[in-house]
Amino acid sequence: MQLFFEQLLNGLAIGSIYALITLGLALVYGILRILHVAHAAVYTVGAYVGLAIYSHTSTLLLAIPGSMVVCALIGVAIERLVYFPLLKYPPYVPLISSIALFLSLEELCRIIAGPELLTFPAALPFPSFSAGGVRVSGTLVAVYVVTALVLAILWFITSKTEFGLAMRAASQDMDVASSLGVDSRRVVDAMFAIGSAIASIAGILVAIYYNQVYSTMGTMPAYKTLALIVVGGMGSVPGAVVASILLGLGETLLIGFANIPMPRDALAFIAMIIVLMWKPAGLLGRG
Amino acid sequence: MDYFATVATLIVIQAIAACGLNVIVGYAGQISLGHAAFFGIGAYASAMLTTKAGLTFWQALPAALLITMLLGFLLGLPSLRVREDFLAITTIGINFIVEAVFIYTPFFGGALGIGGIPRVVVMGGRLGNNQFLALCLVFLVLSLALCRQFARAWAGLACFAVREDETAASSMGISPVRAKLSAFVLGTGMAGLAGTLYAHYARFISAGDFGFPVSISIMSMVVLGGMGTLFGPLLGAMIIGILPEIFRPLIDYRMFIYSVLLLLMIRFQPGGLLGDSSLVVGLLKSLKKLVKPKNIANPREIGGDGDV
Amino acid sequence: MSRALLEVHGISVVFGGLRAVDDVSFEIHDREILGLLGPNGAGKTTCFNAISGVYPPTLGDILLDGARTNGAPPHGMARLGVGRTFQIVRPFSGLSVRENVIVALGGPRYRGNLLRSLTSWRKKGIADEAGAILDRVGLLDVADRTSGQLPIGSLRRVEIARALALSPRLLLLDESFSGLRSTEIAQIEELIRSIREDGVSVLLIEHNMKVAMGLSDRVVVLDHGRKLAEGKPSEVASNQAVIEAYLGRGERGNVA
Repeated sequence: MQLFFEQLLNGLAIGSIYALITLGLALVYGILRILHVAHAAVYTVGAYVGLAIYSHTSTLLLAIPGSMVVCALIGVAIERLVYFPLLKYPPYVPLISSIALFLSLEELCRIIAGPELLTFPAALPFPSFSAGGVRVSGTLVAVYVVTALVLAILWFITSKTEFGLAMRAASQDMDVASSLGVDSRRVVDAMFAIGSAIASIAGILVAIYYNQVYSTMGTMPAYKTLALIVVGGMGSVPGAVVASILLGLGETLLIGFANIPMPRDALAFIAMIIVLMWKPAGLLGRG
Repeated sequence: MDYFATVATLIVIQAIAACGLNVIVGYAGQISLGHAAFFGIGAYASAMLTTKAGLTFWQALPAALLITMLLGFLLGLPSLRVREDFLAITTIGINFIVEAVFIYTPFFGGALGIGGIPRVVVMGGRLGNNQFLALCLVFLVLSLALCRQFARAWAGLACFAVREDETAASSMGISPVRAKLSAFVLGTGMAGLAGTLYAHYARFISAGDFGFPVSISIMSMVVLGGMGTLFGPLLGAMIIGILPEIFRPLIDYRMFIYSVLLLLMIRFQPGGLLGDSSLVVGLLKSLKKLVKPKNIANPREIGGDGDV
Repeated sequence: MSRALLEVHGISVVFGGLRAVDDVSFEIHDREILGLLGPNGAGKTTCFNAISGVYPPTLGDILLDGARTNGAPPHGMARLGVGRTFQIVRPFSGLSVRENVIVALGGPRYRGNLLRSLTSWRKKGIADEAGAILDRVGLLDVADRTSGQLPIGSLRRVEIARALALSPRLLLLDESFSGLRSTEIAQIEELIRSIREDGVSVLLIEHNMKVAMGLSDRVVVLDHGRKLAEGKPSEVASNQAVIEAYLGRGERGNVA
């Protein structure tokens, strides 16, 4: 039973990190209808930049915000230089460009930082505790707290602020929103900045959680998160979060705990196919 | 000459697979990012039939094609009914799942793969490298002829119409699902053919040969050469096949150069090298005009406003 | 008046709780031009889409030549001889004008026998057949241009040409006059009359009241998804409810 709870907590942490990556993808799909595969490269860059700042300054208080700023800028650059000019083409054009961009950024990380596995020996300043014989490490607590905080802030922005209203209007219909005086371009810029900054947080959390940074750490998330936004309902941010956490739990409990002989990374796609057959609009899809 | 034959054979095999993907993406406008799965299914089917069931290459080939096309039909049917964005994702999923099935099933040789695949025998003699290259070339020519015929057939026209506008196509009496499925099955069949040839070329296969990166590489060939053009996939396969040989000294930067090249291509020339608005085609045409400065006045340019 | 070609029996179309079309009935007879009118959002296009098979009516029946057709997909309706155009034109942009028409000439070759669907469409006879239709709508001189480059007036003709290539018994025209100049309008009016002379029935949605009233034998007026009036153009034009539906909402429609 103790093992079960430990796995449950690990699964929740992995699911939280999936959620932090996937929600950026869901935001972008919701407004531009682009499958932003390169988002996972932003997450990788986030981990590297965080590590670089940390190894020079030894403080996460500089590493995390610094990495967020760099990733936000990269995200906006991707949107302006690649996606926006390609919106007039059929959807496979931005999709393939996104995959190419993803591979390029991944390779760039490898060329600059080297092919070897780097460590990220930072401790997240959160207390660990034990309950009923189950030890919850400070890192796990940090993952939960940071995820909850990010989700709360995002919820506040989207539902309580004027900017959130503009964002929701733009994701309904960008042209209509523009005609109502919403500056759609700025909304899209801001969304890429927010999504990318959150991805960098996810990158740093993963790097510390596993104590590893490597150039291909984004490969599996890149495609898994596509399956997750289908499961969650294309463009639904709450759906993406729910699907992510369920997948994190499923991966650790079904494969890690129940020992079902199945490749861990195929689970997301199997779940996607089941959901597509049973509820094609996704768990929380809009119809 | 052996080095040349080895490189050339692989290019020809990949060109066949790329032609198949071009039918799906270029003709019918359906984004498939799991083409390597069908390439792999063809290879595994032929490898199993020759090593375990003792068939010859020529007996295994039609069976492998049938198996690939049948699986293409079964996997395509649900995927093609959903929204077009979903197809890209479901085909990625198909690729990962098929690869996982090959790795995790002992029946398919597991992580070790299948070895000892026999050479192709023609009229009692085993084919050498150059002869096998010639055989692959014959299949490439047949594939190109098939693509050309498909583009001229009503079934192909139905695909073009669906690619341009699905709603309008269906109001012209075309069943979009049937049109997309015909392209999907033909395309996967050609991937199966390429896979069968690959199995007898490599003579040892494992799941990693058919992973998602291979799908991306086949897609790059089609994009680079020009989607929907007849010879684009062949040109793309040649470029992507020859580049690593040229960039051998830069082997560390190879993937980076590729992906940046692909990015620049799709960003600035989404039609590909042989596509409609291509710089290359434009250059060739203006060269042609320079050489033959007749027929300059085009009567169609006059009534530009279309007011009849 | 001859027998009914199309009978619409009390159809309703409901999207999520919203009744876009509510219990509408009408008939179209052989060689009749019926105008389907109404202010924006009255449910005209929804009605059209139900008839052409885009979505089945939630309630009610649609009968073509006495046979129930609701539930048939759009390509099924096209095969039964119902041709349509779209309010927002949908050309096959990458194909030439002639190829656009050839697509609609495929007919039975798109279904059933696989070998037949593998025969070539690049034949002189077929190109000529398409040419004849293009000649009729006045597009022969641009037949080999890419359709995506044409102006709206020509695209509306491409849509009519494609629908004609189906050899339809019933032609559904969704605002085929919008965006056209007055000379073009007169030409298309003439074209529609000549199509009717060939024995085709026409159901048209039209915003331009003058055109609709002049062209139609009878009109049906919808408002808020319900049928408001039906009859000869002159009768309907003096109908108080119709005038209110248009003028009351400040529509610019000029009830002639």
